[in-house]
Amino acid sequence: MNGMAGSSVELLAGAKARIASLGVDLARAPQEALAAYDATRAALMTGAGVRGVTYFAILLFVGIAVEWFYWTYAYSPLRAVQAARPDSPLEALRLGLRRFALLLCGMLLFTIAAISTSAAFAWPAGVHETVVAAALLLLALRLSWAAISIVLAPGRAPFRLVPVEPARARWLAAVGIAAAALLALGQFVPAALERALGAPHVAGALRFGAFSAALLALLIGAFALFGRSESRDPAARMRAPLFPRSFVLGLLVAAVYAVWLLDPRAAGVTAVAAVVLALLLGLRAIVYFYWGGDGDGQGALPAIVLSLARFVVVLAGIGAALLALGTPLATLAETVNPWVRIGLRLLGVAVLALLAHGVWIATRSVIDQRLVRIGPIDPHHPPDASSRLVTLLPLLRVSTAVVLLVLLLLSSLWALGIEVTPLLAGAGVVGLALGFGAQALVRDVIAGVFYLAEDAFRVGEYIESGTTIKGTVERITLRSVALRHHNGPLHFVPYGSLGTVRNTSRDWVIDKFNLPLPIEVESEKIRKMIKKIGEEMKADADIGPLIMEPLKGKLYRIDPGVKVFRCKFRSPPGKQFDVRASALKRIEAALKAMGVQFADGRTVVVTGPAG
Amino acid sequence: MSADILLRSVRLASGLVLLAFVTGHLCNLMLGLHSLAAMEAARPWLMGPWRSAPGLALLAGAALVHIALGITAIVRRRSLALSRTDAVQLALGLLTPPLLLEHAVVMHLAGEVTPDFHAAFGQMLAVYWSFSPRYAFQQLAVVMVVWMHGAIGLYSWLVLKPVWRRIGGLVLPLLFAVPILALLGFAEAGKEVLERLAGDPAWRAQIVENLNKVARVTRTYEGLRANLLMGYGALLLGAFACLGWKILRQRLRRVRVDYDGGLSAQARVGLSLLEFSRLNHIAHAHVCSGRARCGTCRVRVEAGAAQLSPAAELEQRTLERVGAAAGERLACQARVLGAGVQVTRVLPAFADASAARAPQDWSPA
Repeated sequence: MNGMAGSSVELLAGAKARIASLGVDLARAPQEALAAYDATRAALMTGAGVRGVTYFAILLFVGIAVEWFYWTYAYSPLRAVQAARPDSPLEALRLGLRRFALLLCGMLLFTIAAISTSAAFAWPAGVHETVVAAALLLLALRLSWAAISIVLAPGRAPFRLVPVEPARARWLAAVGIAAAALLALGQFVPAALERALGAPHVAGALRFGAFSAALLALLIGAFALFGRSESRDPAARMRAPLFPRSFVLGLLVAAVYAVWLLDPRAAGVTAVAAVVLALLLGLRAIVYFYWGGDGDGQGALPAIVLSLARFVVVLAGIGAALLALGTPLATLAETVNPWVRIGLRLLGVAVLALLAHGVWIATRSVIDQRLVRIGPIDPHHPPDASSRLVTLLPLLRVSTAVVLLVLLLLSSLWALGIEVTPLLAGAGVVGLALGFGAQALVRDVIAGVFYLAEDAFRVGEYIESGTTIKGTVERITLRSVALRHHNGPLHFVPYGSLGTVRNTSRDWVIDKFNLPLPIEVESEKIRKMIKKIGEEMKADADIGPLIMEPLKGKLYRIDPGVKVFRCKFRSPPGKQFDVRASALKRIEAALKAMGVQFADGRTVVVTGPAG
Repeated sequence: MSADILLRSVRLASGLVLLAFVTGHLCNLMLGLHSLAAMEAARPWLMGPWRSAPGLALLAGAALVHIALGITAIVRRRSLALSRTDAVQLALGLLTPPLLLEHAVVMHLAGEVTPDFHAAFGQMLAVYWSFSPRYAFQQLAVVMVVWMHGAIGLYSWLVLKPVWRRIGGLVLPLLFAVPILALLGFAEAGKEVLERLAGDPAWRAQIVENLNKVARVTRTYEGLRANLLMGYGALLLGAFACLGWKILRQRLRRVRVDYDGGLSAQARVGLSLLEFSRLNHIAHAHVCSGRARCGTCRVRVEAGAAQLSPAAELEQRTLERVGAAAGERLACQARVLGAGVQVTRVLPAFADASAARAPQDWSPA
């Protein structure tokens, strides 16, 4: 804590000194600017000055020549990209990227040609740096112009890459380009002034002026243009506003400016952080703009893309922040500044959380989407191939969540610098103790894993366990299975006591029933009659599809006074009852038509003739 | 031959004359890469012809005609729907006369007063590099402005010709080699001149004397220059005012034109179809920027042909050359006079100069 207080005081002292030096810059700048102007003029009006300007003109010609040559090839592709009519934001993004690549190539060629040619000349002292700075400034200006006009596409709504109202695109683009130009100006020109003319106060004042003007432009952009929606679209108006985005954006801009004012070295990192935050704020809208379709975002894709995009934004932000700091990772890890250390650790936790979040979102949305596609399963209908998925996917979802959470917890602790090994060892001991106590539980879970892995039963199947409990599988958890008896009661059977499973819902069943007829009937006639009924049933539109092997019958046993015929057929599981009922009905009718009655249990006592 | 075609030819010819003069001048500068003596030796050959009476007359006439035609073109415009290249060329062209005026007049006067002055390239360079660097900056600006203007003009004219396929590989590099080498020559000769100035006081004294003579004369010319610049400015202002008035007067009379692909454009009555496309961000090929040369902007008129201005001879010639079907018009020439026009763009927007060089390769099936 002591260290933190110390560094805070240091920070404040630095800021005070910085403000004071800014005041000095502003006070001395006018005088220094006049002197610098006179000096420049005097230097220009000599042979050396003429030489410098001549060389500069040559550089311009070289740059223009190379870029012109490039455009003789690239102009047609650029026109083709401009002429395309994107029908979706994704298509627009693709076209925008292609367009940017074409423009970027031209700009880079110009800059590279000019800068590398500049190396060939003997410049007057101090001019070479200025020339290179000018080339870079030009590149920055053109780059930001191209990027902003491609992203906002003023006047060309189908090409717009961000969800911005058409009326605002033009103004936003103007403000954005102005801010980018001012920032580039503040970045390149003062440095060159300082080096070439030795005018640090002018440089400081110019930097202050340019950045302040950029702040103003960005604030205007954030508040006036990004602010409250003026959209006439009822769908947009009726949506509940959830977050004061524009205000936070403005605040972020102001914060970066304030940090720059107090400590320019920290400005880069703060700017990166602000951009990351702003992107995270707007990312949802942007992602749904591209992948959301109607904006409801029912599918899993936007969610996955969103978390991925968040991840990428944060990672890129961390990379950019490290670049802005200019410190290699190795020295950063050994720094003693407690703020930096805590910040680094929190960053680590954030990265881990994002990673876990991404994996979780991806898993969950894939599983949910799959389940939605399969639809609800009626446990009292015969299961099909997807029932195994319905059985396993929810289990998988829960286990993923648990595993991810545990991993995230442990690795976050590790990232925060808390030693996890003893914790794990402790957890191991506790686990052992628990394991003895909860032997049955462990047995159930492990047995369940094997039942499921071996596909012994699925949701919707009718099973009988070794303990004579039977019923339709309704629910499967990690520890037990819920069986609905056909009379209604619901059994919760732990896997450990499930024992042998008799699954009556797989593939097919064979059904057999007896047909007792009087001893007088002719066996062959009856056999043929049953066979005919079997064929009729197979041809029947309703019952036919339920028969896998048609009904057949044959004389099975002869008892005193009774001939027993045995009939059998094969059908899908669960269908045998319908088929049997239908068969008996038809047989009864056929027997009646033949004049044959079923064998009755009555015993006929034959007495001698009366008298 | 109609007036349009004549004007276009005169404009092209005057431009070529001026470009030839500038090229000769720059080639002379290039020799500075070798030595000052080489520059002096080549001078009668490269610059001499323009010093003769017919040469001077041709040059001055070409300059005046080119400037006049440029200003006329502004007056004849109906909108500011320019392509970027066109805008750059226009701006460069407008910058040229004021930048060049001083150089031309001073050189001419100096030649009158001090016969040995204009014969010596070295003396002029000494003025630029030592006595009055301001002129050097002015000249550098002129070289850039004039050459870029000329290069754009020459390129956009030649690239449409079938001959470009053979000479393009030579002309395009030359368009940039000439000014770059000339500027390098200028820099090298400058070094030589500065050395000589330091080591040859007599030469220095002679230049100072000549400069004084010229300075006496040019004082009388200052007033003339101011007047000329004023006149030029007024002319430009008038031209732009004319254009602005046209735009303002017609601003409320807007009509709609329907395009293929369900697109439509709205703009002022009297604008050409190409201007309708440009003002409404409709991609439309126009390699020659609306000069009725390339034929890539041609459209098939589906409806409302009577609402378009009739095709002039200029347009008909181009249509014939590119083998346009009946009912096709050049979008850059056909002006919309009323509502109900419906057109189909014949060539894709990415059609390039090859569509003008070999229209048969680009004829749609």
